[in-house]
Amino acid sequence: MVDAASNKPARAAAEFAPVRQTAAAPSAASPYRLATGGIVDRSAPLLFSFDGRNYGGLRGDTLASALLANGVRLVGRSFKYHRPRGILAAGSEEPNALVELREGARREPNTRATVAELYEGLAAVSQNRWPSLWFDCMAVNSLFSPIIGAGFYYKTFMWPASFWEKLYEPMIRRAAGLGRAAGMPDPDTYEKAFAHCDVLVIGSGPAGLMAALAAGRAGARVILCDEDFEFGGRLLAECRDIDGRPCAQWAGSLLAELASLPEVRMLKRTTVFGAYDHGVYAAIERVADHLATPSPHMPRQRVWNIVAKRTVLAAGAIERPLVFGNNDRPGVMLGGAVRAYLNRFAVKPGTRAVVFANNDDAVATLLDLAAAGISVQACVDPRGADAGVVRAAAQRIGTRFVNGAVVRARGGHRLRAVDVSAVAEPWHKLTFPCDLLAMSGGWSPSVHLSSHLGGRPQWSDALAAFVPGPLPRGMSVAGAAAGEFGLAACLAGGAKAGAEAAGDCGFAAKPVAMPGIGPEPIGIAALWRVRAKRGKAFVDFQNDVTVSDIELAEREGFRAVEHLKRYTTLGMATDQGKTANVNGLAIMAELTEKTIPATGATRFRPPYTPVAIGALAGHHRRKDFKPTRLTPGHAWAQEQGAVFMETGLWLRAQYFPQPGDNSWLDACNREVTATRNAVGVCDVSTLGKIDLQGTDAGLFLDRLYANAMSSLPVGRARYGLMLREDGFVLDDGTVSRLAEDHFFVTTTTANAARVMQHMDFCHQVLWPDLDVQFVSVSDQWAQYSLAGPKAREVLQKLVDGQHDISNTAFPYMAAGEVTVGGGVPARLFRISFSGELAYEISVPARFGDAVIRAVVAAGAPLGIRPYGLEALSVMRIEKGHVGGAEINGQTTARDLGLERMVSSKKDFIGRVMAGRPALLAPDRPAFVGFKSVGDGAIGAGAHFLPVGAEPSARNDEGHVTSVAYSPTLGHLVGLGLLKGGSKRLGEKMRAYDPLRGRDTLIEVCSPVFYDPEGARLRA
Amino acid sequence: MPDQALRQRAPLEALARPGRFGATSAAAGVMLSEIRDRGLASVAARKNQRAALLAAAKSAFGCGLPTRPRRAFGRDGLSFVWAGPDQWVAMLDHGPVGGIEPRLAASLKGLASVVDQSDGRAVVRIGGARARAALAKGMPIDLHERAFTPGDAALTFFSHINVHIWQVDETPTYEIAVPRSFVGSFWHWLTEASAEFGYEATGSNSSA
Repeated sequence: MVDAASNKPARAAAEFAPVRQTAAAPSAASPYRLATGGIVDRSAPLLFSFDGRNYGGLRGDTLASALLANGVRLVGRSFKYHRPRGILAAGSEEPNALVELREGARREPNTRATVAELYEGLAAVSQNRWPSLWFDCMAVNSLFSPIIGAGFYYKTFMWPASFWEKLYEPMIRRAAGLGRAAGMPDPDTYEKAFAHCDVLVIGSGPAGLMAALAAGRAGARVILCDEDFEFGGRLLAECRDIDGRPCAQWAGSLLAELASLPEVRMLKRTTVFGAYDHGVYAAIERVADHLATPSPHMPRQRVWNIVAKRTVLAAGAIERPLVFGNNDRPGVMLGGAVRAYLNRFAVKPGTRAVVFANNDDAVATLLDLAAAGISVQACVDPRGADAGVVRAAAQRIGTRFVNGAVVRARGGHRLRAVDVSAVAEPWHKLTFPCDLLAMSGGWSPSVHLSSHLGGRPQWSDALAAFVPGPLPRGMSVAGAAAGEFGLAACLAGGAKAGAEAAGDCGFAAKPVAMPGIGPEPIGIAALWRVRAKRGKAFVDFQNDVTVSDIELAEREGFRAVEHLKRYTTLGMATDQGKTANVNGLAIMAELTEKTIPATGATRFRPPYTPVAIGALAGHHRRKDFKPTRLTPGHAWAQEQGAVFMETGLWLRAQYFPQPGDNSWLDACNREVTATRNAVGVCDVSTLGKIDLQGTDAGLFLDRLYANAMSSLPVGRARYGLMLREDGFVLDDGTVSRLAEDHFFVTTTTANAARVMQHMDFCHQVLWPDLDVQFVSVSDQWAQYSLAGPKAREVLQKLVDGQHDISNTAFPYMAAGEVTVGGGVPARLFRISFSGELAYEISVPARFGDAVIRAVVAAGAPLGIRPYGLEALSVMRIEKGHVGGAEINGQTTARDLGLERMVSSKKDFIGRVMAGRPALLAPDRPAFVGFKSVGDGAIGAGAHFLPVGAEPSARNDEGHVTSVAYSPTLGHLVGLGLLKGGSKRLGEKMRAYDPLRGRDTLIEVCSPVFYDPEGARLRA
Repeated sequence: MPDQALRQRAPLEALARPGRFGATSAAAGVMLSEIRDRGLASVAARKNQRAALLAAAKSAFGCGLPTRPRRAFGRDGLSFVWAGPDQWVAMLDHGPVGGIEPRLAASLKGLASVVDQSDGRAVVRIGGARARAALAKGMPIDLHERAFTPGDAALTFFSHINVHIWQVDETPTYEIAVPRSFVGSFWHWLTEASAEFGYEATGSNSSA
């Protein structure tokens, strides 16, 4: 579902059922389901299971609403004390109701039941309990709570230190874990996608809908995201009238219009979880989380990178719990959640209720409870005269109003009663039997995304809440997220923000007509904790952080909010303190007698809600982590049974095994021997290839390479050495001159991109005045190296007859254009890395497959063998050529014995810095060869030590860089970097390798073991 | 010399199996094919020859070289796509092997460096009602019709692979040039991205 066309809302407006309930009887199947109302589909019953027991729910339910409909109140155990927990909220802020969803490889721990969309066959189990949710042995932890308060593991498990990793940590993790990961590879796929828009609207409540509508009508490209599986936000959960219609119905007509606008894309089940620079937002779309298994070709989840010119944050607000004794008992619920279960899900979360609030939100809760036929035992409000509207509402439904506070909840696995202390008679405790307590401590705007780029939220005393501070560029905030509480304010704020955002993008928006809405009280008086509390008073439900823990942190000096968070774990874990943070820091402010702004808030960081790592990885896993490059001859090599190795992104043939080989070494030896005695062929298409043209191309190369290139005659090739600015060797390769103003350069496979980048920098920044143009042709040419005494004979069968490639006409280091196979253009270079008579032949890549087959066919009577990287490496070691192990970024031309190549007649990059005194020091490790004179293996990385010297860094004289068994010579041959270098030929040293437990006697020698006169390559 | 002529292999020959793949619930949302008969060449202006080059191209090929990310069409199946400051990719429909470089070089001698890239890039054509949605899964640029129109071009990436894309028509149809050695991974990514919408692959497509 990537474009707007497939995102039509599931229902047209008229299909929204009326919401307002009159006293309705529970249905037989689900005892707490109201007979009418809500936006659940009673014609679509769904079966699901929780802890192995089957229940019935309806399409449109969340797991939480379906459990409540079945009277299930106890859904989990708390993190540390294993206290019985129920459902606190109705949205993504839920701290308690975490379950393991699905089974087997798809098992997903810590899923919030309040956002898990019900589907047929959904299977969930409770977490963090043993042996059962009802009887949890670990609940004994509660008895130890005096010693396992905040920071207990910092204090308790100090000694002995070695016990931490082996004993204490595993023990704590077992006792205080949450869910279990599947432990198997995830069978589903995840993907990433990019989206662009003029206006991104985050949240589809009243403000978000109006913003999207205003911007969409103006013609702007709009993306509307909501984390819920239905658009509408609180409009679905409230029982209000807009323009004389139930608000959910009214939302339906807006959604229908939005869906009809071609440039409005609506993404539901999509949480915008992060705000980044330049208007980039990350969102996670739960494409198939509401299905038992994703349909074929459907990703499970998709991460969106949304690039928005403007953004309207309309993420609403999160209700705060009140902090009193045992406020975590199942049945204690947020007031707004109670209304959501009643109005949206048609579920009674209890049968006898008490309402406890410090703000006017209680009015709606009281009326909705009464309308659903739930008897309200009492309405408790700590405010006096200010609570007038609440008192009036209580009176209207015949409920007793108490000016006071709930001090303690009673009950264990479910709420049985609440103890209330009235302001008038604090010595006289009132007890109200109930199984539902609807509480509200006020609403905290969801400012998270406004703060991801560093803007600190600001405290509003009037609202008793943080509102957004300095905003990310391009963002505006509307509705409850901006502290615009009240439906009318949300609608107006959203419409204004949407119109302004569209206007900023060049789309003139007409004012959206404001619908008629009744008045709404939003008064509040802060109440951060009930001081007369009895029992544990939880601030952070998910982390079992109580008021006592905050008091302890204060006493022990962890008073700064970020310290408070780390010391007590307040605001950590999957909910990141959505319901807890403000209460926690406000209590700390009280304890330290500071204001809330002076106390500050912890920093908000992405993600807003948990995002699976798998979704962030998308398709980029296993072999798809990065692209793979294949040469034109790859299919042929595969047919030969080649074993491939990764070199950068490339796959290259390492060796070609044959039946009867004992190891790779047999194959390697065979390939070397065939090449030395007859002929071998190797795919070198992976070399970096660069085409240079222009009148200054020669001059450009002179400045890039340490040796001269402008003096190279047309039709000749030259080995080239390129230094870095700091004088160390960057890369080696070959330069061939194809015409006066036309060169062809090869680089090593590993440094191809780096050399190209270096050239681009040098041309664009250092010498833009030079007339030189260059472009990578690495992919244009397939290139093969033919090496061995019979190489020319093979080549003569391939190259068209008019081209004379005899030793006289085409000598060592010749380069030129030829044709092969009857007119196919090709380039031929007489270059040798192996030390044999050798050529490299390039053909356009489309002929790469055919040419390698033709080469092998032509060479078969002469004993040709393909050879891989192992044989290539052995032959270059035998010949004493430097490779990647020697050009390691720490060696100069002098170190590598290549100082003869360095021109003294011209300037070039690296010349000055290579002359620094330390780089000319006589005892710098320099390039040598060595032979083994002891018995025992030698590996690269072994250190050279004087015979008899103590193995210490002080006595270290260099190291082995490359070593191989030479089938040609019948012994080990090695290369290394040794202090003093070639001055020490003939000396005996030790190759000391403590990592592999080896210590072998060697003799220093010339690095050129094979054909030192170079007769073979000129043959 | 071997008895038979050297056989050419297109970059996607072994991979782009013709047929209908992915979701089958509706008509294929994405059409994929490889263009195998197009000649490509890099063209870069020589120093201080930009104006002369533009004029020479105009008279020789009948089109100006675009100076922003666009594709311009000349005579006889030649077109030029902007590829950076003073750089273009020239394309020749139904170009024979090695045909494009001499044709350009003759007219642009001394004004531009011309390098044959016909084998260095695979050109994949992607079209269909859901082509944009499929490309959005790997390509960061905005292909919406208000932002990118027929003739527009961009140098960008698709799932970590550098690509050159230009729009052909409003269907929408796009062509994407991919370095040849990457084309296997590219095809894998593109077909994974298209599978949700159902895709139809035709082995090859004529370049015109």
